[in-house]
Amino acid sequence: MATETESEWEIKVPDKPLKDKVYFENLKSVVIDTEMCSRCLTCAAVCPGGITVVNNKVDFPDYETKCFDCGACVRVCPRFKYEPKSGLGDYIEFTAGRSKRFAGQDGAMVTELLVSAIEMGMIDRALFAGRDEKWATEMFHVRDSEQLAITTLGGTKYTFADVLPELKKAVKFTKSGVGIVGTPCIVSGVRKLQQEYPIFREKVKLVVGLFCTENFHYDEISSFLKAKGVDFSKLVKTDIIKGKFISTMTDGKVKFKVTEAEDIVASGCNVCTDFTALESDASCGSVGSANGFSTVVVRTEAAKKVIAFIRAKGYADFDEGDPAQLGFLIGHKQKRAENIKK
Amino acid sequence: MKKVTVQDQSTLEKAKCHAAAIGVAMKESIYPLTATVQYPRQRKKMPDNFRGYILFDPEKCINCWECAFICPANAIRMKEAPNKKYYPTVDYGKCIFCHFCIDSCSGGALRTTKIHDVAYKDMDDMVTLTEEMIEPPEIIREDKTLVEYQIDKKDLQIKKTREVDYLFVDEVPPSVEIPMVSQCIDGASCIGCHVCEQVCESGAISSAIANGVMRMKIDTDTCTGCGLCVKECSMQILKLVRK
Repeated sequence: MATETESEWEIKVPDKPLKDKVYFENLKSVVIDTEMCSRCLTCAAVCPGGITVVNNKVDFPDYETKCFDCGACVRVCPRFKYEPKSGLGDYIEFTAGRSKRFAGQDGAMVTELLVSAIEMGMIDRALFAGRDEKWATEMFHVRDSEQLAITTLGGTKYTFADVLPELKKAVKFTKSGVGIVGTPCIVSGVRKLQQEYPIFREKVKLVVGLFCTENFHYDEISSFLKAKGVDFSKLVKTDIIKGKFISTMTDGKVKFKVTEAEDIVASGCNVCTDFTALESDASCGSVGSANGFSTVVVRTEAAKKVIAFIRAKGYADFDEGDPAQLGFLIGHKQKRAENIKK
Repeated sequence: MKKVTVQDQSTLEKAKCHAAAIGVAMKESIYPLTATVQYPRQRKKMPDNFRGYILFDPEKCINCWECAFICPANAIRMKEAPNKKYYPTVDYGKCIFCHFCIDSCSGGALRTTKIHDVAYKDMDDMVTLTEEMIEPPEIIREDKTLVEYQIDKKDLQIKKTREVDYLFVDEVPPSVEIPMVSQCIDGASCIGCHVCEQVCESGAISSAIANGVMRMKIDTDTCTGCGLCVKECSMQILKLVRK
């Protein structure tokens, strides 16, 4: 953080497509009402007023009176001037790993990357999405590997998590840096925040992206799974493998095709073309590696250092990854580019 | 085993000891050596910075809520006044009399008194509303004597004077006053929400839009260094520095 202080400073004022309306109304008309909103909550992270989620949609109750009209939301919204990204992107290394220390969805490499970064001293806290007994997500600030005794921190949750509003709190308290993990839309949101506000550029050091095809709203997916006969109290793991949604419970599995759940896919996911979180420091996912391994796409020097640290300490087994396996899902998401025009 | 025997004393010596004992008893009956205060007829002299009943001056309140935030016992609740401002109320059922609220009050709206003897009939009465804090509570004074403790090298001395102590503290100025001013530490991270401008009581913060660029300015001369903008800034980029 800059040590010199100033009594005068300048702020960019973003353009307004609707001239007479407050910025939130602009955001609402361009992003939310057109169902482009990815619910990444980047806007909620910076909003000094009260952008929040109402009925699964980003909303601002009483914005006419409470909006400060500062334009922060449209400055950071990744979908306000949407530049869809697609493909596998540039990377330094394409590898696969399996953590020896942690358990997760596959190889627990996301956990391993963030915890190793804490141990290296690169960051002093990492944001994890945990869950309660009913599988609703809640955020955790992890500052020590011992905290990962909470087993619910690892593993995929097919619902949204409020990562970015929590990131603002983390940035406030951190000393050396913050690491976060998120879906491609969250990663784009973080990059947008970093581009606009130096405070995030300095404090957010490691961004781990997840491979993501689509996401679901909590109440919709939970009632859908209940109808399919999934008992949340016994649910251990949810997974999507080869087009099938598999819910593993202590006493059996419930399987169905993902296409059955097509109607409840969050609307913002229909215009998303980014499968591999192109803007992240490292992307992780299960596709592209052997069973029990996590694919790791190392994209930046920061992530490369962490991987080198993991290799040096021997915290994980490494295996060959196969970028070709990602081709189908990248192509599947590329097709959604057509939806943007609509 | 050691045997305890009665000392051989002459009659004269015995008479002397009895006389001394009678002397002490006589002295005690006239000027008793007590360290306690016979409240309510007597009252102990309290120092000026005694942490007692809290008084509030709405004129000086800048609505920063710092008293409510700092209160470790959560005794202070902010209530909306008819003039749309929020003023503190103190729940004496919770208050631990640490007076952090008074120390943190940058406007000097809260101040202490030497009143420590306020009685309530039930718990609900202990929630003291803002109106009740402006004026001190009604107290029936029965005390006629002021008791002052003085510790010298040898012993605790008690000085009793026949006068009535004044219970209110004329404002005690802070021992060291450092002039502070609010400054921005990271102008590029400002989102331009104007919250600082809206909360500033002294009107030191101003903004102007020209050619798609907004200029924010803090007037260092009018800024009182109350710290309200620093607390309210949503990006936490304002900081109090020495003038």
